[in-house]
Formats: sequence, structure tokens, C-alpha cells
Amino acid sequence: MAGTIRAQYPATLRPVRINCTGRVTPSLMMRAIGKGADGVVVGA
Amino acid sequence: MLQSARTQGLNLYTYSEVEDVQGFVGNFTVKIRKRARYVNNDCNGCGACWEVCPAYGYNEFNEGLDSRKAIYSAFAQAVPSLAQIDMNRCIKCELCKAACEVDAIDFDQKDEIIELNVGSIAVATGWDEFEPPTGYLGYNKYPNVITQLKLERILAPNGPTLGHLVRPSDGKVPKRILFIQCVGSRDLNMNTYCSSGVCCMISIKNSKLIKQHSPDADITVAYMDMRAAGKDYEEYFTLSRKEGIKYIRTNISRIKEDPNTHNLKIVMQNTLSSGGLKELEFDMVVLSASMVPAKGVESIQKMLKLEMSQDGFFKEFHARLNPIDTKIPGIVLAGVSQGPKSIVESIAQGRAAASSLARLMGKDKYRILLIRAAVEDKEKCAKCGLCELNCPYNAITVSDDGAEIDEILCRGCGTCLANCPSEAITLRYYREPQYEKQIDAILEEI
Repeated sequence: MAGTIRAQYPATLRPVRINCTGRVTPSLMMRAIGKGADGVVVGA
Repeated sequence: MLQSARTQGLNLYTYSEVEDVQGFVGNFTVKIRKRARYVNNDCNGCGACWEVCPAYGYNEFNEGLDSRKAIYSAFAQAVPSLAQIDMNRCIKCELCKAACEVDAIDFDQKDEIIELNVGSIAVATGWDEFEPPTGYLGYNKYPNVITQLKLERILAPNGPTLGHLVRPSDGKVPKRILFIQCVGSRDLNMNTYCSSGVCCMISIKNSKLIKQHSPDADITVAYMDMRAAGKDYEEYFTLSRKEGIKYIRTNISRIKEDPNTHNLKIVMQNTLSSGGLKELEFDMVVLSASMVPAKGVESIQKMLKLEMSQDGFFKEFHARLNPIDTKIPGIVLAGVSQGPKSIVESIAQGRAAASSLARLMGKDKYRILLIRAAVEDKEKCAKCGLCELNCPYNAITVSDDGAEIDEILCRGCGTCLANCPSEAITLRYYREPQYEKQIDAILEEI
């Protein structure tokens, strides 16, 4: 997403590859936040 | 059409409708309703029946410019060349039965349901002309405001006027003709898309055609932008300007009619000159209406579970990289079913669709990835049906035994398990604990 507009992701962003955004469950996002992430970006 | 009807091994079902599609790539079951023509295959299309038929009515093929009988042939070159009876109009006098020399008329014929087992499906549903709202630019209100399709029928050598250009109000030859482009397209209130330059080229073609018929015709095209993109198209446009066809860049909002002469008065401003507003009078106005998806595509969309684009045409696999396949294996798109396009592009896409299917059907095996959703714990399934509702590929059926996932239809997107309230579904190779471990590992350093 950021790649197509030649923008850079912040160095502190950690990607997790998921088959389809439909696969993202709220529990996964909450787990990341619970473990100390400041936010979750869901990129299509 | 004629060639396909003559090709051996190619079954053509005309006057038929697809009612139901089940199955998956390599094994679709298609239910086709072959509607009763009330005329059997002995018919040789001689036309003796429609000569004696007393029931007249609207002729759809000629856009209502003339009438047809209750027993008729859809159009002159219809394939197969059989007559058919419109039962809404038939008065059952059976005069046709008496006139038929080959005894082809059968009033007891019933709709037939045909079940076919097919490996793949090409969707080629085509398009319809956009019908402007009544009163918009005088459409359906003033007799001399017609759409492009009606003009096509008037100009056709086999049409109701045998190709003579006449205007509907008084049958006189119109001298001052205005084409209005982008009717219903590139308009935020109607269709936002451009019909791919097709209406621009049709206007150029028809104005040249009219110029050939009557060289003294005064033809004006009111356009937003002339989109002559394609091989030799720009040259064609330039040629038409050399022939004296006028192009005015303007936006027309209103048409007034002179009630005595039925001539049309239009106030317009050429936005490329500083001439200001001008009122011009025309004998006939042709609306270049946009292309819209054919009537009834919604039912095909539901049957095949295809996605629709915002404009109502079928959604392709990828708008730029793969405009032929759909997200469902074994189903491809051809022609305007995917989006407005010209004949050239339609032929190209149709051939591409055929070769895409040939490549698929040429092999005797079809490989699938094993990344598929599965109900691994049947005990957990509450049979709520959320997965069935949310599955974009129609792969899940929920019965009393719980959810059942078809492994061939499933594409492994995981939407079902994200929606499953009881966590009964898992996605093979992409299970929840795998992601949890990844997230934990990433966030360990914080």
C-alpha cells in the first residue's frame, strides 16, 4: 500500500503476512495491542 | 452466429435462460430453461405465418419504430431461422397453423428444462442502451429526440425505413441534426463512468453516414470530450471534421420544442470560444446514451456468485493484470459483461476468454492449493450460519450436521473463521496459534 505511492513505512512497523484481510480476527489485533503495540494497520 | 449454429459439437440454446448453476470448475451443473416457441424445428422461416397473423404490436428489435406480429422472427438474420409466438399477444385464431406448409406450429409446446454438465463458463451477457429518464433532454417527451440505437435502426438498410433517414414526428428528412454526447455517462447523477469512447465513435460514424445520404445535412456534435482513442480512430475523427461535421464543446442542460414544427431549440455555449450563449434550432436530436449492463445480469451474478464492480458490470480478477478471469476458477468474462468496450476490444477479450478456458480444460487435472478452511472440531460448531452468509465463494453449506466446507470452491481467504463466533473453523497452514506466535515474537523486543 505504502509501496505503490513510494512512501516509506516507519522503521518501527512490523509486518505480518496474512492470506486475506478477511482472515484478520479481532483477537489477533487485540493480542498485538495487549503485547505492547501502539496500533495495528490492516493493509489490503 | 450462423457459423456457430453449423459447427458440430457446439450446442446453441437460443430463446433460453440460465436458471441455476451449481458446482465448481470442471463440474458445473447448469439448468437452462428453453422457452417454448410454439413452433417446432420443422419451421423453415418462410414467413407465411406472420403474413396471415392479425395480431400487431410493438417491435422491440426496431425500437418501436414499426410493428411486428404475434408470430414473428426475432430479426431477419436470427439464428436459428425459426418463427416464434409471443403468447402475450397471440389471440389463438390459429390462422398461422393453417398457413404453415410444414405443419411446424405447435400450440401445446411447453418450456423445457435442460440440465447440462459443463467444465467451465464464459459470461458474455453484453449490454443495453441506457434509457434516459423521461423528460431529460426531451427524451420520451418530444418525438424528434431519439437515442442512438433508434437512429441505428432508422439508418439500417433492413430497418423500418429501409435506410432512409426520416424524423419520427412527420417523416420528413431532417437537415439540421444534433448529436448530444455523454447522455447518462460521466454524470454524477446517473452513471459516473465513460462508456469507453464507444458513443463518441458511434456519433462520428453515424454523422458520416448521414452526410453520405444527404450531403447538405448540417450535423453538429455537442460533446464534453471527444474520446477517439484507438487505432485509426483519431484519423476517422479528423476526416469527419474535414467533411464538415461541426463539433461544439458544450454541456446541454435543456431542450425546448417548437410545438408547431416539432423543431428543437437549444441554448448552448461553446466553451472553447468566447462567443457566449447562442440559441440554435435543430430538426432532430440524437442522444448518445451510455452503455449499461444488460437486463437480468443480477440473477446471473447471484447464480455464479460473481462480484460486481461499482458500475454494475462484472468484476474481473484484476482490472489491469487479468481482466478476463474472475475470482472463481472456471468462470471467465467476455466483452461488455466486464465493462464498456468497443467491438475490437470485445473480440480481443472474447478470444482471450476462450483461450483462458482452453488452457484450463486442456489438462485433465486441476491443481488446488491446500490452504483451505476446515471445520476441524464439529462439536464447536453452533450451526449459526454466519460462515455461509459471509463466504464470498459460496463454499459453505450449514445443515443440521454443522457447517460443511467444499474444498474445491473454498479459496482459503479465511473470512469464515474470522466471523465464526464459536471458533470452530480453522484455516490450514494459517492457524490462529501460528499468527499468535508471530505477533508475540515481533513484540518481544518492546
